Amino acid sequence: MNKRLVAALGTVVLGGAVIAGLGTYVASAKNDSRVLAATPAGTMETPQGKLPHYTLEMAAYPDSMAGSHGKDGGVHADWVTYGPVTNFQVPAHSAITITIKQYDSGARLNNDFFATVHGTIDGTATINGVAVKSVDPEAVGHTFTVHGLADAKSSLFVSVPLPAVPDEKLPPTGYTTNPTTVTFTFITGDAGDYVWNCEYPCGDGTTARFGGPMSTQGYMAGNFHVVNA
Amino acid sequence: MTTVLDHPTSAPGNSAMKRPLIERLNVFTAFGLGIISAIVFWYLARTFLPENTEGSFIKTRLDAVTIIAMLGWFFGFMTGIGALIGPFRWLLGKDLDHDESMFYAGKDQGIKRYFRYTTDHKVVGIQYLVITIIIFFVGGTLAMLIRMNLGHAGGGWLQPQTYNAIVGTHGIVMIVGTIIMITGPFGNFIMPIMIGARDMAFPRLNALSFWLIVAAIPPMLSSFFFGGISTGWSAYAPLASQAPPGMDGYIMFIVIFAISTMVAGANITTTVVKMRAKGMTWNRTPIFIYGVVASVALALPVFPLFFLSQVMSAMDRAVGSTFYDVRGGGSGWLYENLFWIMGHPEVYVILIPAVAALMEMAPVFTRRPLFSFNTAIMGIAGISGLSILVWAHHMYVTGWAPLLNGPFMLTTELISIPTGMLFLVLIGTLWRGRLWMTMPTASIYALLWNFMIGGITGIYLSDVPVDGALHGSMFVTAHFHYTLMGAGLTGALASLVFWFPKMTGRMFDRRLSWIAFWLVQIGFNVAFIGMFLVGLAGQPRRVDAYAALFNQGNSVTTMAAYSIMAGMLVLLYGVISSWTNGAIAPMNPWFAKTLDWTVPNPVPLENFEVLPVVTSDPYGYGKAQS
Repeated sequence: MNKRLVAALGTVVLGGAVIAGLGTYVASAKNDSRVLAATPAGTMETPQGKLPHYTLEMAAYPDSMAGSHGKDGGVHADWVTYGPVTNFQVPAHSAITITIKQYDSGARLNNDFFATVHGTIDGTATINGVAVKSVDPEAVGHTFTVHGLADAKSSLFVSVPLPAVPDEKLPPTGYTTNPTTVTFTFITGDAGDYVWNCEYPCGDGTTARFGGPMSTQGYMAGNFHVVNA
Repeated sequence: MTTVLDHPTSAPGNSAMKRPLIERLNVFTAFGLGIISAIVFWYLARTFLPENTEGSFIKTRLDAVTIIAMLGWFFGFMTGIGALIGPFRWLLGKDLDHDESMFYAGKDQGIKRYFRYTTDHKVVGIQYLVITIIIFFVGGTLAMLIRMNLGHAGGGWLQPQTYNAIVGTHGIVMIVGTIIMITGPFGNFIMPIMIGARDMAFPRLNALSFWLIVAAIPPMLSSFFFGGISTGWSAYAPLASQAPPGMDGYIMFIVIFAISTMVAGANITTTVVKMRAKGMTWNRTPIFIYGVVASVALALPVFPLFFLSQVMSAMDRAVGSTFYDVRGGGSGWLYENLFWIMGHPEVYVILIPAVAALMEMAPVFTRRPLFSFNTAIMGIAGISGLSILVWAHHMYVTGWAPLLNGPFMLTTELISIPTGMLFLVLIGTLWRGRLWMTMPTASIYALLWNFMIGGITGIYLSDVPVDGALHGSMFVTAHFHYTLMGAGLTGALASLVFWFPKMTGRMFDRRLSWIAFWLVQIGFNVAFIGMFLVGLAGQPRRVDAYAALFNQGNSVTTMAAYSIMAGMLVLLYGVISSWTNGAIAPMNPWFAKTLDWTVPNPVPLENFEVLPVVTSDPYGYGKAQS
């Protein structure tokens, strides 16, 4: 074969290899590669019958001094964040109970839709032990909202508001010792990769505070993997 | 302008004395000074800007620091390359002496002149060619990452944020690459020779326009390390106001690029208007010149608005202005208007020179006069005029001025008439011509096919109700790729093969040009027809994951994208191997009749020993025998 054609073919192979290598690197470069898997907790009676039951525990902090960003808070110590990590893994076709401790203050939601509990069993969540279907949209700290298209047929949408800790109960430094505790249970469908994020505008930005931690995975957003058990 | 040939010159660099500053500045000093300056500015900004922005004029300290550091890079780079030597001399009431002008022109400097602030239009043309190739390599690599993600069943292989950053960067990088891909390399190298001039009207501005682009690229690429461009290439407010500091890289890139475009536009327009050879009346001016001038003249009024839109965006981010913030009396629609008043004419800034280049080649390869020269002029003028009246068809669904949707639909659909004129000219020239089948000849047919699909789908999208359904879908993505890539890039690749002999003194490897052509064209059509289909089925654009029903279409598109990639890499290899080891090109390998083919290879510093006098039109090939 003509030398020049062989060299051209070599260029194509080399170019393809460069792109494949770059792609593999970029795909593996996660904001936070750590994943918290749900803990088995026996079985649970649900409207869909008896299902395997799993639990997850997490927290929403007013800065990054806790959570996954290290003791010094990482590069954006003042950004609000979820913790201990922001990527979660739960089994498919199971009842998942999530408990979130909410340490942050808050204000009014942009969209009252997110003041209502969506996608949980009975459409309820318990806040400090009291079952509710919605909260006051004027005093929401954050939300935990799972959504997205999955590879599988079933979709998943769960959104739970996390009421704000009143300003007067916030200590001058450190975190409150009485966070708002929110617990809710939902049922997963088929396996798939979803994302979750906070829908309360708690980030940077001149317009609607959806920047900074709100637009950066690893703070107020992350992955939610539903996997086959 | 460097016009003196017989003046005795010294040999800069051979003197035992210390070399003057002008000879010591090059791309390496530019990068060095740029980086140092960026660090100094960054340090000063961090030191002196208030930590607590409450009550301060600073809105977001991080953005202010980032923008100031990038400004530091820009001033450092331009100083390091030597762009400020001339203006500084003027401030002192002096100008460059003869030897310095000759040095600036790159006389007797060999390959070093390509790494300096050289004013010779041919050097600038080659510099543009290389930077365009680099830009396409970066943009193409990002395109392949996008396709790898979407080729994965359901997508979602890359992190959503990473995917968005890649899409946004790919978009703006490719837009800039396509804007400069013809007017940059060929507009600079070929155009002055084609009109019988010794150089551009403002050679130093010519060098400035090129080095501004080089200065603009690092801020752009740095955005990947600051959160990326998560907004798509259009960078709408308020998305851009909330985006990570990577957005500042985008803003700086556009601001610098817009200055470059304005400078180049003024220079090229002045050159063509004032410096055409004696006897080159407007009726004897080659059609390629019309295409280049229409392109840059169109950019002249619209790029200042793009520039302005980004300055205002930077101010909203950094110093708390509210140009685009409704709470402060601003409006997101203001940004959209400013952006699209540039954004749609920009499509024709890209397309017109590409079509004009192929119109220039059509008579050469059919041995026939250009069919209806006046129709071609009217088509170019009609497109240019109408293109600044169509911008709001991008905004039908935004809610801005719904009563204007109808008029904008009308102006958009009207533009198909002058576009049809250009089709007519090309088909009329090909009709019964004696075809010399080269890669540029085949590119004319490819352009007609691709531009027909891009144009017709554009008419659908200009229709208000149809746009309501298809807006934001992959159908739109496929449409504009058919116009910008299918038509624009096809014309640019044909131009590369056509003018390669004049620019490098070597023939482009014929076989490689054909292999690249077919790999790119087949891959392109399969890829983007597949994209039309998933778009029609409802797949949204700018989303990293998709429903299972789009799997098949996306797999096909991704496989075909590999064919495009292979074709472009073959072409890249063809450029390198032909340039270094290709057959020596005769002075006029295509037997063309324009002035650019009357000068020897390599083209002398001042192009013509004696300025030519034009006595006939450039397409006097006689009529084809039927």
